[in-house]
Amino acid sequence: MSTDPDYPASAEAELVRLAQKGDMAAFEELVARHRDKIYARAFSMMRNEDEALDLSQDAWVKGWRRLEQFQGDSSFVTWMTRIVINLCLDQLRKQKRQRTDSIDAFEEDGGGIERQMPVVTPNPTEGLERTELRQRIDRALAQLSHEHRTVLVLHEFEELEYKEIARRMKCSIGTVMSRLFYARRRMASLLAGLKRENLE
Amino acid sequence: MKHELEVRIQAWLDGEVSDREGARIAEWVARDAEAGALAAELRTVRKAMADNELIVPLPETRQFHWSKIERQIQREALPPHRSPFSWLAGWRRFRIALAGVTVLTCVLTLTVRQMHRPTFDEISATGEGMEAVTFHDQSAEMTVVWLQDNSQTSGTGQPAKTSVPDESNSDIELE
Repeated sequence: MSTDPDYPASAEAELVRLAQKGDMAAFEELVARHRDKIYARAFSMMRNEDEALDLSQDAWVKGWRRLEQFQGDSSFVTWMTRIVINLCLDQLRKQKRQRTDSIDAFEEDGGGIERQMPVVTPNPTEGLERTELRQRIDRALAQLSHEHRTVLVLHEFEELEYKEIARRMKCSIGTVMSRLFYARRRMASLLAGLKRENLE
Repeated sequence: MKHELEVRIQAWLDGEVSDREGARIAEWVARDAEAGALAAELRTVRKAMADNELIVPLPETRQFHWSKIERQIQREALPPHRSPFSWLAGWRRFRIALAGVTVLTCVLTLTVRQMHRPTFDEISATGEGMEAVTFHDQSAEMTVVWLQDNSQTSGTGQPAKTSVPDESNSDIELE
């Protein structure tokens, strides 16, 4: 007589192997383990709860359908994160096409206000508690354009190289470098502004 | 400072330049105050963001989130939906195809008949109490319409007159 595996106690590789054979309970355990991370990535890119929920759900369904393609070259959560990032990028591209007047594009081409900003000194993040720092970074990220936020998320959080970001965002390496530069400059300014607000 | 130089400083901080170019940029940043300040700002943001992503928790319970995913997986796994009345739609499609074939057959038949048409045609039509026979001779370019009154033979099963035309009940027209 066979008994059901102890899913919560199972190693990730074992859960993936079972799920690849069609075991939905094993896949449910994988979803439970990584749902926050996948949702958080969708939310960091979309900054909209409903869209992030839909896209993270779509990512899990797509992950289930393509599970046979997962070879274990990276961790399962890294593989799933790539799926949700691609879905978010597709969604952002659709939204951009729908926008008639792209202020972001204008700002990006000319450097926008970032070109005029003085260099921020001293370090606006110095002496902050980690929780406070994370909240400030999140608030600052929310104020960036989609293009600037996406490139920062992919570089700083996903640790992707310029070339890989360019491939995923379907743009040139030069555009990635430019977006990243202006995004960082804007972040420095926003973090300094948030520090000033706190001091006042 | 030119934008190309600014992004080169950034690329150096991100480890995206060769060792040789990196050494050159490091030297420049060390002796140029503006380049040094920009490098410090970019480095600060880079360092602050590393490992400091705020993880926003999923605003749904595990069961609810999974139930939505499971439903979508099952929905996509189902074969295409078939209506209980699909046979009706099939019958309609069959009728359309049949009508098409019939029309095509008629057209072909008429075309062939037109090509191999005999030199004369005889068409007969019978109505209640009346029989009409049309005779057309192409070679003579003549059409004869013969009307025969059968009302007097009702109940007998016999025609009032034979089918041989005569002057009394036929009308002759020349085309």
